[in-house]
Amino acid sequence: MAVDITLLFKASVKTVKTRNKAMGVVFDLPKDEIFKKSRPNNGFSLKAKEVISNITKLKDFLLQHRKDYVNAGSLISSDLTRMTDNERDQIDQDAQIFMRTCSEAIKQLRSEAEKRVISTQIKEHRGAVLDLIEMYLKGVCKLYSEQRAIRVKRVFEQENQRLVSEMSNLVDEVRQIEGKVVEISRLQEIFAEKVLMQETEIDSIHQLVVGATENVKEGNEDIREAIQNNAGFRVWILFFLVMCSFSLLFLDWYDS
Amino acid sequence: MAASVREKQAAALKRMLNFNTSPLKNTAAEPVWKVLIYDRFGQDIISPLLAVKELRDMGITLHLLLHSDRDPIPDVPAIYFVMPTEENIDRICQDLRNQLYESYYLNFISAISRSKLEDIASAALSANAVTQVTKVFDQYLNFITLEDDMFILCNQNKELISYHAINKPDIMDTEMEAIMDTIVDSLFCFFVTLGAVPIIRCPRGNAAEMVAVKLDKKLRENLRDARNSLFTGDNMGAGQFSFQRPLFVLADRNLDLATPLHHTWTYQALIHDVLDFHLNRVSMDESVGSEASPSGARPKKKNKKSYDLTAADKFWQKHKGSPFPEVAESVQEELDTYRAQEDEVKRLKSIMGLEGEDEGPISSISMSDNTAKLTSAVSSLPELLEKKRLIDLHTNVATAVLDHIKSRKLDVYFEYEEKLMSKSTLEKSLLDIISDPDAGTPEDKMRLFLIFYITALQPPSETDLDQYKKALLETGCDLSSLNYIKQWKAFTKIAATPSNYGNSGVKPMGQSVVINYLVRKNRVFKVFFFQNLPVTRILDNLMEMKSNPETDDYRYFDPKMLRGSESSTPRNKNPFQEAIVFVVGGGNYIEYQNLVDYTKAKPGKRVLYGCSELFNAGQFIKQVGGPPALGVRPKWQPITHIVHYYPMWPWSKVVH
Repeated sequence: MAVDITLLFKASVKTVKTRNKAMGVVFDLPKDEIFKKSRPNNGFSLKAKEVISNITKLKDFLLQHRKDYVNAGSLISSDLTRMTDNERDQIDQDAQIFMRTCSEAIKQLRSEAEKRVISTQIKEHRGAVLDLIEMYLKGVCKLYSEQRAIRVKRVFEQENQRLVSEMSNLVDEVRQIEGKVVEISRLQEIFAEKVLMQETEIDSIHQLVVGATENVKEGNEDIREAIQNNAGFRVWILFFLVMCSFSLLFLDWYDS
Repeated sequence: MAASVREKQAAALKRMLNFNTSPLKNTAAEPVWKVLIYDRFGQDIISPLLAVKELRDMGITLHLLLHSDRDPIPDVPAIYFVMPTEENIDRICQDLRNQLYESYYLNFISAISRSKLEDIASAALSANAVTQVTKVFDQYLNFITLEDDMFILCNQNKELISYHAINKPDIMDTEMEAIMDTIVDSLFCFFVTLGAVPIIRCPRGNAAEMVAVKLDKKLRENLRDARNSLFTGDNMGAGQFSFQRPLFVLADRNLDLATPLHHTWTYQALIHDVLDFHLNRVSMDESVGSEASPSGARPKKKNKKSYDLTAADKFWQKHKGSPFPEVAESVQEELDTYRAQEDEVKRLKSIMGLEGEDEGPISSISMSDNTAKLTSAVSSLPELLEKKRLIDLHTNVATAVLDHIKSRKLDVYFEYEEKLMSKSTLEKSLLDIISDPDAGTPEDKMRLFLIFYITALQPPSETDLDQYKKALLETGCDLSSLNYIKQWKAFTKIAATPSNYGNSGVKPMGQSVVINYLVRKNRVFKVFFFQNLPVTRILDNLMEMKSNPETDDYRYFDPKMLRGSESSTPRNKNPFQEAIVFVVGGGNYIEYQNLVDYTKAKPGKRVLYGCSELFNAGQFIKQVGGPPALGVRPKWQPITHIVHYYPMWPWSKVVH
C-alpha cells in the first residue's frame, strides 16, 4: 500500500531551510521571475475549464430535473411537480442547443490549438484534453438521450394507453350496436310477416277496385250514350211535334 | 486475499493515477487531465497492467519517459512514477527548477531515503516550488505482475540479478549484498502490496537462504515499528479475514537446472521458448505478401509485428496452459463460432434489406422481433470484431510456433526429454538424435544433451562422453555450458543433502509422463499427464506439512514472532491454503504451468509464482556458457557463521 510521505517531505523542507539559514545560503529570487510566472498559455486551459464547467452545469440541470421529467404520469405526483409536455419540450430544446454550442466550442478550441502550435508534446496534450472533454460531453449527452428515451417511451406508452382505452370504448359501443341491430332484425321479421299478410288482402282490394273502375267507366259510357240518346230523342220529339203542328196547320189550310 | 496480486497492483496504480484518492465509480465525472512521467522501471510495471486506452480514460493526456526531452506544459498536474535513484532525483530537481508543470505528485516505486528526499526539498526551495510539490508517496510497487498469479522482479537491469550474476565465481561480497538488497526490496514491496506477512521457508546454504534471512529481518523491523508499520490498518483488512498466513517458499535455481532447458509443449511456454516474448508482448516477423517481383529475386519484406497477450483475451486465459495441439483445435473452433455469428449478422442484415422491397414473405416475421435482433446484433458487433482480432492474433502466433516446431522437430525433443526425465526406456539412442541433421538447431541438441547429463544417475563414461562431444561439435554446438553443468552436477553430488537426486528411493526428477498416442486427423497427438517438477514437489511437501527428507531441513522464519529462531520446526501444524513460490536465480513458464496444474488439482488452494527473472532455454544457456569464465575457481574462503553470505557454487569446496 502506498505510504504518504508528504509530511516527511515538508519536514525535510523545513530542515533544509533551517540548514540553509544556518549556513547563510540565501536563495535570491529575482523579482521579475515572480512576474514571469504568469504563464503565456493561460488561454487554452482557462477556456477548456470554462467548457467543462458549462457541461457540468448542463449535467446538473439535467439531473436536477430528471425526476420531474421522467415522472410522467405517476399517480402520486402533485400538480406542482408534474411537468407539462411543453416544459419537457423546452428542456429538450435547450439541452440540444447547449450541447451544440459546447461541441462547437470544443471544435473551435481544437482548431485554435492546431494553429497556435508550440511543441508536439503540448499539441498532443491539448488534443488529448479535448478528447477527454468530448468524452465527458458524450457522457452527458448520453444522460440526456437516456432521459429522452424514457420520455419517448413514456409518450408512446401514454399513447398506447390512450389507444387502448379508445379501443375498449369502441368495443363497448360496437357491442351495444350489435344488440340493437339484433333487435331491429327481429322486429323487422315481424313486420315482414304482417306485410305479407296484408299483401293478399291488398291484392284482392286491388282487383275489386280495378273491376269497380271498369264498371264505372262503362257506366260513364252508358250514361254518355244515354245522354246522347236522350238528346237525340229530344230532337226527334221536337221535330215530330213541329211536323205534327205543321201538318195540323196544313190540314187546317186544306180544309179551308 | 480474494483479489489477485495483479488486481491489487492495478488498483494501487489506478489509485495513484487518481491523485492517490479512490477513483470514483461515476462515469460522468468531470475530466481532470494529468501528465504521467515514468522511468523505465515504471514503464515495465505499468505496461502489463494498464493499456494506453485505460490511461487515457483515467485522464492521462501524455505519458513520457523521465529522461526524455519534455516541454513545459503549464497548468497541468504531473504524476511521477519513478525509482528513487540518483539520476532520477536529479532529473526531478531539474524539472522543478525549470517549472515544467503546475503541480507535482511524486510517487516512488520503492521507498526513498531521507537524504534524497532532502535533495528534492532543497531543489524545490531553490526553485520556490515547494507549494507545487503537492504530494509525495512511497508506492511499494517494485515488482512486475505478469499474470494473476505470477510476478517477476524487474526487467530493466535484470543482468544485475540474473542467474549468472548470482552464481559467477568471482563475485564480491559487495556485489552479492547489492543483489540481495535489490531482491529483498522487491519482495518486501510485494508483500506490502499483498497485505500479508508470510511464513518463510527456505533451503539451507544457498542464495535463497540469504534472501530469506534479509527479508525476515526487514519484515520484522517494519512490524516492530508500530507507528509506521505497513501491515496494519486498512490494507490488512482483507488479509485479516483469512485466518491463515501464506507460505513463502524460497527456492534456488540450482535446485533444478533441467527444467529451464526442457523443451515444452504448452502454449505459453512454447511462445516464450520459441518466439520473442517479454512482459506479455510477442514480437515476431511477419513476411508480407508473396508478390512475385518482376525484376529478379527481391527478399520478402519482413514486418515486425507485436501482439499483446493480456488478461482481457479470454482465449489466451483459457488456453495458455494447454498443450499445443489442443490450442490449434480450439483456434479452429473459435473461428467456426465466429463465422457462425458473422453469418447470423449477415442474415439479419439481408432480412433488413429485403423488408423494404418485398413485404409478402416477410410479413410473418414480427416487427418487434426484428428490432430486438437488430439491436442485439449491433451491440454485439464490437464484440465480434474484437473476437476476430484475437482469432487472427492467435492464428498468426500459433502458425509461427508451429513453423518452429516443424522445422526443429521440437515434438521429438519433447518426448525424448520426457522419457529421460522419467527414466523410461529410450527408443532411440541419444547419439542418433544428436547426429540427425534436420532435427533442431545446435542449441536444441545442446539442451537435450545437458538434460541427459543432468538426469543420468551415473555420469557417462569418458569414452561415451567423448563420443557425444564429438557429435555435438560436429553439429556446431557450443560446449562451454557443458563444463558448468559438469561442475554443478559434481558439486550437487558431493554436498547434496541426501534427498536431492538419485540416492533416495524417491524419483529424482520431475515430469514422469504417461504418453498415449491419439491418432486424430492423420496427426499423432500425444496426451500426457503431468506429475510434479522439483519445485512443485517441494511446495507440496511444505504446504501440506508432509515429512520428507528433502524439505525437513528447510529453515523456518516467522517475522511476527518476537524472537527469531534458528530451528526448522514449524510452529503451525495445519496445511497452508496460500503459498508463494519464489525462485532466486530465474524461473520460467514451465515451472509456472506446473504449479498452475498442481493448484487446479487442489481446489481451495492458491499458489503464486515469482522469480527474479524470466529466461528461456536459449538465454539460460548463454548465461551458463557465457564468456566470463565460469570455470573452476580457487578455493573460497571458509565462512565462519552462516549469516554471512554463502551462495552455492558448484565448484567451490565446502569446508565442513
